[in-house]
Formats: sequence, C-alpha cells, structure tokens
Amino acid sequence: MMKLLADYQAIASRRHFFSRAGTGIASLALGTLLNSSAGATGSTPSRGLPSLPHYAPKAQRIIYLFQSGGPSQLDLWDYKPQLKDKFGQEVPRSVYPDDRKTTMSSAQASFPTAPSLFEFSQAGESGTWISQLQPHLANHVDDLCVIKSMHTDAINHDPAMTLFQTGSQIPGRPSIGAWLNYGLGSDRSELPAFVAMSSKGSAKEGQPLYDRLWGSGFLPSRFQGVKFRNQGPPVLDIYDPDGVDRPLRRVMLDHLAALNELKYQEIGDPEIQTRITQYELAYRMQVSVPQLLDFSQEPRHVLDRYGADVLQQGTYAYNCLVARRLAERGVRFIQLFHQGWDQHGNLPDQIRKQCNDTDRATAALLADLKQRGLLDDTLVVWGGEFGRTAYSQGELTATKYGRDHHPSCFSLWMAGGGVRAGATYGETDDYSVNVASHGVHVHDLHATILHLMGIDHEQLTYRFQGRDYRLTDVHGKLVTGLLA
Amino acid sequence: MRQSVNNAAVLLTVCIVSWCCFVPCCSVCAGEVSFARDVLPILADKCFACHGPDANSRQADLRLDLPSIAQRVVEPGLPAESELIARVSHADPEQRMPPPSAKKQVSAADLQVLSDWIEQGAAYATHWSLSQVAAPALPDVSDPSWPLNEIDYFVLARLDREQLKPSQGADKTTLIRRVTLDLTGLPATPAEVDRFVEEDSVDAYEKAIDRLLATSRYGEHMAAPWLDAARYADTDGYQNDRYRYQWAWRDWVILALNDNMPYDKFVIEQLAGDMLPEATLRQQIATGFCRNHRINSEAGSIPEEWHVANVADRVDTFGTVFLGLTIGCARCHDHKYDPITQQEYYELFAFFNNVPEWGVGPNNGNSPPFVELPQSWPNLSAEEDRLITPAALSFQGDGKYQGGVVRPQPGGENTVMVMHEMETPRATFLLQRGQYQLPDKSEPLQPAVPKCLQTNSQSLPTNRLELAQWLTHPSNPLTARVAVNRYWQQFFGVGIVRTTENFGTQGEMPSHPELLDWLASEFVRSGWDVKAIQKKILLSATYRQSSQATVQAHSSDPENRLLARGPRYRLPAFALRDQALYVSGLLIEKFGGPSAKPYMPPKIWSSISNNTYEQDHGDNLYRRSIYTYWRRTIPPPTMMTFNSAEREVCIVRKGRTNTPLQALTLMNNVTFVESARFLAERMMSTNQVPPALQEQQDLPLEAGTSATSDQTLAAQLTLGMRLATGREPSGTELNRLADAYRQFKEKFVAAPESTGKLLAIGEKPRDEALNPIEHAAMTMVASILLNLDETISKE
Repeated sequence: MMKLLADYQAIASRRHFFSRAGTGIASLALGTLLNSSAGATGSTPSRGLPSLPHYAPKAQRIIYLFQSGGPSQLDLWDYKPQLKDKFGQEVPRSVYPDDRKTTMSSAQASFPTAPSLFEFSQAGESGTWISQLQPHLANHVDDLCVIKSMHTDAINHDPAMTLFQTGSQIPGRPSIGAWLNYGLGSDRSELPAFVAMSSKGSAKEGQPLYDRLWGSGFLPSRFQGVKFRNQGPPVLDIYDPDGVDRPLRRVMLDHLAALNELKYQEIGDPEIQTRITQYELAYRMQVSVPQLLDFSQEPRHVLDRYGADVLQQGTYAYNCLVARRLAERGVRFIQLFHQGWDQHGNLPDQIRKQCNDTDRATAALLADLKQRGLLDDTLVVWGGEFGRTAYSQGELTATKYGRDHHPSCFSLWMAGGGVRAGATYGETDDYSVNVASHGVHVHDLHATILHLMGIDHEQLTYRFQGRDYRLTDVHGKLVTGLLA
Repeated sequence: MRQSVNNAAVLLTVCIVSWCCFVPCCSVCAGEVSFARDVLPILADKCFACHGPDANSRQADLRLDLPSIAQRVVEPGLPAESELIARVSHADPEQRMPPPSAKKQVSAADLQVLSDWIEQGAAYATHWSLSQVAAPALPDVSDPSWPLNEIDYFVLARLDREQLKPSQGADKTTLIRRVTLDLTGLPATPAEVDRFVEEDSVDAYEKAIDRLLATSRYGEHMAAPWLDAARYADTDGYQNDRYRYQWAWRDWVILALNDNMPYDKFVIEQLAGDMLPEATLRQQIATGFCRNHRINSEAGSIPEEWHVANVADRVDTFGTVFLGLTIGCARCHDHKYDPITQQEYYELFAFFNNVPEWGVGPNNGNSPPFVELPQSWPNLSAEEDRLITPAALSFQGDGKYQGGVVRPQPGGENTVMVMHEMETPRATFLLQRGQYQLPDKSEPLQPAVPKCLQTNSQSLPTNRLELAQWLTHPSNPLTARVAVNRYWQQFFGVGIVRTTENFGTQGEMPSHPELLDWLASEFVRSGWDVKAIQKKILLSATYRQSSQATVQAHSSDPENRLLARGPRYRLPAFALRDQALYVSGLLIEKFGGPSAKPYMPPKIWSSISNNTYEQDHGDNLYRRSIYTYWRRTIPPPTMMTFNSAEREVCIVRKGRTNTPLQALTLMNNVTFVESARFLAERMMSTNQVPPALQEQQDLPLEAGTSATSDQTLAAQLTLGMRLATGREPSGTELNRLADAYRQFKEKFVAAPESTGKLLAIGEKPRDEALNPIEHAAMTMVASILLNLDETISKE
C-alpha cells in the first residue's frame, strides 16, 4: 500500500495539472485507482481478494515451463529397464485396452513394446533416475520433486492443454495465472502480473497454442495474461510510432490528460480518472518493458549458462532468462510454452534435439534462481499436457520408434517454494501405461499449486452464470506428499 | 433434515408439476416477503445443491423447491415450529444447515427473510422469468410531465421510490452523437450535427432515428453482438484452427437486420429455415447459425466424441441466446438450481442431433452438410433462391483411418454450411455424466422441451422447425424478455436483467421487472418489430437524459442501474476502430463478401501456430470491423484488448475494462496512427473560420503571429474536435490544442527527419503537398483527439 501510494505520488508530482487542480483531485484519483472495478489488464496494482491468502504461502510466484505436445515420460523420467527384454513384443490388451487409443494408432495391427533407447542413471544425493537426454538438469535433481503418476482426462492436444491451463477441456474458464491474478492481485504497476511467452523447438513444427491458454475466461479480462510476443515488439503497440520520441510522447500525454481532466470536471464520471491513470501506467510500461528485456547488464557467465541462443528473441533460453528477470521484479505468474514435444514418428531423433534446445536453459534458470535466493519462494513447474505410449506408433526398429498420445500416466516435476526437494512421487506399472500408486490428476496438481500459493482451492471461487466456479471445478485433492 | 419421504413415485410426479402450480403472492407491499424476489434466491443459492432439482446429489430425500415436500420442514405461519428455521439457525455447527462442507452460510438477514416468509404463510410462486408475461399497467409517478413514453413511467416510479430525480435532457449535440453511435456504430458528422441542432421541429429527433434506422450501417453495427452470440468465425476453432467459409451467413444477418425482419422470423429461419415449406436458399443459409460452432479436425480425434460436442454446443447456444437459461448445466447431471433434468437436456439435444454430419472436420474447408453459394450472392434470382439439397456425407480417401483420422469431404470457398435433417433421425440417448461413450441405451429419447417451459396454449414440438415455432409463440415467457433485455443492454450498457445469459434462479433479478415485461409484451404485440421496439427505447426521456452527474451520483450507482442519468461508457472495440477510420476519411464502406485482413502485429499467426497471416492491401485495410477475418484461437489482438468476444462459444455479455494496453493501442497502433495522419489532413484542408469563432473576442492568439494564421489554426482544430466528438471546443480546450500544436511543431522543426517516419506509418500515402512539419505536428494533435476519453466514449 505504501509502495503504491509512493508510485502514485510520483505520477502526481510530475503532472502539472494535478498540482493545478489541487490535492482534492489527487486523492480522489487514488481512490479510483484502488477501487475501480475497471482496472488494468494484468498491470494495475491491485490488492486481490481481502480473504486471501488463506494461509501463509510457501511460494510468492510461479514459473511454469509448459512443454507443449506431450513429452515422453518413458524417455525422460520413468525408467523401465525391464522393457528392454520385451522389445517388439505386444503390449498386452490387459495392460492397454483399445478403447482410449487415439485414431492415429488405434487401427494398427500390432502394438509392439518400444523400450527407451536412452540410458538412465541415478543423479544427486537423492539418486533420482534421469535419462541421458538431460545432462544439465541432472545436476539439479536434488531440487526437484518428480511426479511419475500424473494422469489426465484428455487425449487430444487442444482439450488436454485447455484442461491443464484452465481446469476444463471446454473453453471459457480462466487460466491458472488469471485465477492467481484475481485472487492475489499484484504489487507491480509497470509490469503485468501475468506474463505468457512461447518458443518453438528446432526438431519439428509444434502443435499450435491458443490465446485461451492465458485467457481470463469468465473473469474480468484485466486478469488475463499479457502475451510477450516472440517476434517484433514484445508487447502489442508498446513502442511509440517511428518519429515519436519520449519527450514528444510526454508532451502529448500531458495535453491529453489536461483535456480529459476538463471533461472529468464537467461530467463527473470516475472512469475518466481511471483512464488518465491508465495512460500514465502505459507510459511507464513503455520504459519498464524494454528495461526488462535489456540483457546488457547480465554478466557473461550468466548468459553463457543459458546457452548460445539466449540473446535471440523467441528462443526457450531467451524466455528462461526473461522469466528470471520477471521473477526478480515480482511478477506473479510467468508462463512459458515450448512447442515441439509431439513425437509420433521419429522420436529418438526429435527428442534429442528438443532436449538440446531446453535442458541447458532449464538448468540455468534453476541455478540462477537458487543463486539469488529466489528458488525459496518461487515455484517452478515443468511438464506437458499428457504422456506418450509404451507401444510404438508406426515402425519399430533398433534405432527408431514413435509414440502416440497417452493420458493415463506421465511425468512432471516441480521445484522451489514449498516443494519436497530431491523426491520422486508415485509409481507406474511395468509398461508405464497405468498409474500403479499415488496418482495425481491435473485437478490435484492445481489444488497443490494453489496450496503452495497460500490458497485453499475450494475457497477461491467466482460466481458465473449463477454458479460458483473454481479452478478445480468440483474436483481436486491437495497432494501432501509433494510438499516439503 | 433427516426425515425421509419413501414414495419415490410421488416425488417424481410432483417434480413434473411443481413449477406450474403455485400460490400467487403479493410482492410489492412493503414489509411483505416475495417468494420469487426474496426467498427463492436464498433457497437456490444455499440449499438447492442438496435439496433441489438434482436427484443424484439430493440429501435426505428433501426438496425445498417443491412445496409438497418442503412442507415437511415448513409450518406455514409458524417459523418457530419449522424445522427449516431450526436447522438453519442451529447453534451446533455440525447440526446447522448448510453444513460446513458446503462452504456456504445463511446470513442473519437471509434467516430473517426465511422466517418472515414462513410467518406470512410460506407461499410458493413460480420463478419470475418462467411466469407468463403480462403487460403491466403504467405506474403512478411524481411528475407526469417528465415521461415521453411508457418506458419513462416505470423508470420514474423506481426513481421516486429511491427518492431520486431524473437528469435533464442531454443537449442536442450530445444526443445526436449518442444515438448515431448506438444505431450505426459511427459518430454523427459535423453536418449531421448542424442539421439536427438547427431543426427545431418537435419530431426532429424521431426523424433522425428513422433516418439512422434506414441506413445500411444499422445492420453492420447491430450484427456485431449477434455474431458474438452465434459464435461466428472464419476458422474451425480447435488445434490447427483451419479455414471455413461461412461469411454468406454473416451477410444474411446484416441484410435481415437492415430489412427489419421480425424477430420471430429471424429466429425461425436461423434455427430451421431449411425445414420451412417451399424454403428458399436464403432461409437455408440462415441455418448456418446452428453450424457456427467449433469443429475439431485434430488428427487422432474420435468422431463420436466430437459429434456430441457439436450438438451440445448447439443446445447450449440455443439455451443462452433464446431462453437465457444455463441449460448446459444439465448435460452431466440434473440442473442444480433450475428445474431442468438431465433427461430433458438430452431431449432438447435430440432436436439438433439429426444433422448428416461427421464429428471430425475436413481440416480445411467447410464441413458437410454444405451447399454451393451462387456467384450472384446476395442478389439471388428467383430461380437461384431455392433450397438446395446438400450432397451426402462422403469421406476422403477410402474412408479408412489414414494419417490418424477419417475425414469428410471439404466444401470450398464457394460453399456455405447449413442445417439438414437426416431421413431417419439419429437415436438420442441420455449420456451418463455427459460422456459420449456412456449412452444409457435402455431408453431412446424423443425430442421434447423441458417441462417447466411447457405451457397449455402451445402444442409441443417434435422437430426442429416446431421447436423454433414453439420458441416464438407469444406464450413463451422467456423469448421476448431475453431479446428486449439484450437490446436494452446494447443501449444502456447493462441489461434490465444484468445477467443477460441467465434468467434462471441463479441469475439476477431485473432492476425494473415491470418495465421488462412491458417491453416484452409490446415487442410481441408489435409483431416482433425489432426496429420499432428499439425506436421506442431511444425515444424515451430515460434514454435522452444527460449523462452528466455528480461524482457522488456516479459512485453510488456506478453502472447506472437506476437510470437517473443517460448512458455513458467506452465504445465497443469495433466501433472504436470504425470511428477512427471514419472521422479520418479512411473508412471503405462496402457490403459483405469474404472477410478482410487488415493490419495485424508481425507474424500474428505463425509465431504460435502453423498458419501464416497474409495481410490485405488497399481497401480491405479500411473496411468496417464486422468484416475483419476472425481466427478463433488467435482473434485480432487489438479487438481483444477492447473486450471483444473470442467467438469460441456463445457470448451475450462482455466485460468493459479500462487498461494501459488500451492506451498503448490507441496511441501506437498502426490503424490509429494512420487514422491520425488522415484526420490531420482533413483538418488541414480547412481554412474556414467558424462563425462562432469570428465573433469570439479571446481568439487563441500567439504573440508575434498573424491573426489570419491563428484563425486558420483555430478553424483546423475546431474541425478536428467536431469530427472526433461532435462538438466545438471551448476556449480553454482550443488554447490547449493550439499550445500542443505549437510544441509539436517546435519539436519537429528541431528533428525534421522524424516527420518522414511518422508520416509513413500505414500504407496509404500522404498528400505530399502538405508541409511535412505541420502535417506531423497536426498528426500528433489528431492523435490527442482520437485518444480523448470523450471521443472513445458514448455519452
């Protein structure tokens, strides 16, 4: 609150019309800023709900590294050495019934077992099993809690991603970040409280993303994520037009504010005061966003840690570094999407490239957060919308196989604020087809994520169409086994 | 509440009649509790989840929505003897209702209402929106000279109750801009303002409304909310979000609105135009409404699953748009709050389940059934304007799973998707938990409408056409109420029922129930004359009020629900862009056809999906926003910044935010900068000093410059202000704008290379005859004008 007041006074003092109009107007405008129902898309400081947090949060912010397409649990985390002996043998129908295979592979004559080509080893003091595809991340397993028993309801990308990000397969619900923005508010004004970024893998064309994945659904749209574009200006229309410099913009804004102020005096509509404030926030965002993306003060060794493409806008490494810088600036929810994990055909080749694009930067982000003490209260989540089949989709050879979509079990990890570090949670069956113990549904993960942010998932609700909705709808159980 | 009723058969029978049998109760007398207004909302919110319509979640066999069962816990006249009160007020949290697990509490005020209600006899009544519309008598008002038509009596009576006074009428300049924006989505030109201000006949305003209702711009503006409700788009909406060709349906809507097609016909043709006797091609194209839902083409999709999703979307849209009911809630279980069972959901589903379609799309192109659109569209010859039987469903390849999916034949750019009935209806079953793979095959369901909506005066529908006719029968309590509420929302910013999408028990009560009913009955009485009911609203003294008010008045009623002033709020997205193009002279007014692809941010599609946006050039950059290409998964971001609907699912009410991203768009977006450039050109083309200014003593003169050049500047600034806001600037404002111009000019003189950059934004070349420094400075002034709160608001 004091910070907000100070920010506000900084604006007011710069603005000659305020001094002309006297303190009465200034204090009125502050009230508008705090109480107006019409706030800013992700960028007006707001207090959130008075009842939140429900209890002391373990994490203040989230970095969600969403791996779009469905990474193969069998080749990354879920070590099944005994499958080597079953190479090419049918995955039994008793283990994998036909009725929930996608139509991409359900008509196959055979469902041959495809053991992973990749070596696994135990890493860290925790001895967590990890495949050779992730050598950098192997140095950080003692910070991770790897969940091997994730499961979901959806088998196609669109509904599965929509379920993961909004708690429902059907569009129209708020995304996780929008819920947090609504519930907890933000204490930043010149940066959005919820930022989404995306990058493409180099191995294959990825599955598309949709605006609803960072949308606000039925919540007011000011809670939606601001998508940092991966090409051109990072925020839509953030730069002044060519030929307009900052002093010219300042002149323009001062005259605009003065004219709007005259209108307010005449007509009394507080929305006008809110609008004046929003133009000032826009002006400040125009400074703070380029500053955020200016890596010139980052030491060489830090840049090197993220890899060679860290300076190239739109890469995963670049987005990871932006994520760290956003976390430092107190942004509440930072959502990355990395495309390209949908490996139906030549999986071994593609997953090598995919890991090459991401492993180093993910590890660098964890190291960077830890070094700065940020990992203690930042929750990092890594995972996709579903897993992949134990049987080969298409031809199985000694060096080549494909895997179809698989919702019944897959792996995901969390690290940081409040998470049990150096742990592996849940078990799958011998084929990595079904959850054997301690299943974690998407709704359960959501309940746990909210818990770490200090929120009881059953109590963060919003009334829409006459019903109280929540991120977990009527489902979700807190998974205490994931907590520190 | 552990007593139990054992006879389940009795329970079921009562359930069927419950919402039709009721004891009328007095709702207006002071101190008396109205069941519908006061009690039902409490019961619905706090109790129905376990003691309401949903049989599966019901506890203790107790229903509080049915008087015959509720009597177990309610003793009329004796609250102290009533178990309901005892349990709701129980001291022990474990005994108290609702239980802790419900996470809901009955407040002391709610308890008082329940107690009073029982004390007064515990009368039940039908939920207000399901009871018949009866034209209410006009109420007495404090000032009979204020009302201009019937609407005003209801509004003033409410203000009288609140001890408030209406505002004075808006001045003529404000009024003509307001009504022009409301009916056409574009502002009044200075010439139109002058004509209206100068004409002092009593019917000048009515004539202006008639003129606006007759322009083709009316349909282009009014179509926008209908397209949102109908989830119209140019792409399929899932995953790769491939292209479809459905713009002929959009054209149909605009033409129908401009022709003032009666609302009942408008509805019937969109729901079942293909089934009308002697159906025309136009009527068949109208049914595209039922095909505008998303269609999944993702490889690996299971056709049965997505076929169910398509039909469910039709049912949900039907419920929201026409009935204002959240029917979709009953897809997986009985509705928790409204009297709609899960079986009734699937009976409604059966009306929309007979389309010869395939659950998965062709992955580019229209999905069957579709018909060929004649080249002459929309000017069809009599011969062309006849229903075409769509080609039968066929499959790509040999119909086997190839590349992961069986796909139907695609319809090309010259086709349009329509409804069609299968000769043998597809069997419909209740889907347990809403799951496509869990049909309850023990009982095939026949098409039927929910019991709570069945009235005596209508024969019950058995197919889609009869459903549409049933819907528009005058005795249907919801259709007219829901429609007029949307019109009201469009003109006042908030509906009489705020929850436009929900007239059920969990929706909000109307702010002016009698007014809503008067409008609804008038609408039906007029033969569903849309323009007439809209004109009635716009002619009211209520609408014509000034929106000027004290800060206190604004803060005590921020949404203006009591209507003590005129409407004032930010323009919707389409109108904002269209207005900028219009006042700058850039707007290209061309009707219909394939959607236009105006400016978008770089790589708008390709940066996150597998398609590339190919921007148009020339005229298509400047067409009205209703014609902008709509890709559902990546809708035009500028429009989304201003709260457009995504068009993924039916939306009848949108938020209205006020954000820094909006400021960035209006200041920096190419469309708005280019508009500022051309508004500046228009301003600079005048040197006519308005007569008012010639007489003015305090011209904004700058020392050391000639009066002539200052007068010219004043004229140019005045023209700009009039184009943007409809009115002339005050002396203070004129001085302010002139100061701004001079400061901008100074800065561009110091950095002349900047002018070329600014003046090159947007594709339309500038008038090279203009001095670039002056043009750039005036462009910045024009940008101020386009960013004024007054410009971007209707007031």
